[in-house]
Amino acid sequence: MAPSNVKASIRVKALFFGGLKEVAGRAEETVELASGSHIEDLFAQFISRCPELARYRGSLVASRNQEFAAWNTPLDSGDEIAFLPPVSGG
Amino acid sequence: MATLPTSDDRILLVYERIDANALIDHVRTAGDGAIVTFDGCVRNQSHGRSTLYLDYEAYESMALGKMREIAAEVHTKFQIDRVAIAHRLGRLEIGETSVFIAVSAPHRAAAFEACRFAIDTLKRSVPIWKKEYFEDGAVWADGELPPVPQDTQTRKSAS
Repeated sequence: MAPSNVKASIRVKALFFGGLKEVAGRAEETVELASGSHIEDLFAQFISRCPELARYRGSLVASRNQEFAAWNTPLDSGDEIAFLPPVSGG
Repeated sequence: MATLPTSDDRILLVYERIDANALIDHVRTAGDGAIVTFDGCVRNQSHGRSTLYLDYEAYESMALGKMREIAAEVHTKFQIDRVAIAHRLGRLEIGETSVFIAVSAPHRAAAFEACRFAIDTLKRSVPIWKKEYFEDGAVWADGELPPVPQDTQTRKSAS
């Protein structure tokens, strides 16, 4: 049994696309976060490693398991979270 | 090639040339009086700079899901028969088709409106990106930020 002072953690897969993938320097990464974290916390973790990403925070949207999701969306273990710059298909 | 059929619709992401005639034939049924198509193709310039070629990428699983949602929405909004939506990915040369939409309907007005709605919605909400290559460099094209639900704290009780 885990001691009660150890906070449970979750693992999520983070994906980057388009120009954001080049800024982040990665297309995907599995990240461990404290249980109860939100999408915003996940992005903040990437910003702490790659400060350049902060500039893009206001001009991207996130998705959780292939659905657009607000920044305050809570994360579950196994979630697939993507950071998506403005779309330009067509 | 990834495929997600919704009833009699056809939703595709392809890395080879889009076969427009096959999509038109697919939506054509005996009950239709009209088929309207949209052929989005690669232009030779962007903001006055000569384009060499484009490179498209997608969040494929989500893009197919969003394209499928567009097809479903088109059916609820317009009196149409079938929809086909194909988007090409990878490197595209000038003049090539990047996206093709075909809508069949008993009467033309619905087909025109549905086709317009489908391409407008696709450009706004499907996670696909294009990089434009010029003589002197490359840039990711300006795009649109898809609408996002403001608060998803209250989870849907998905099973």
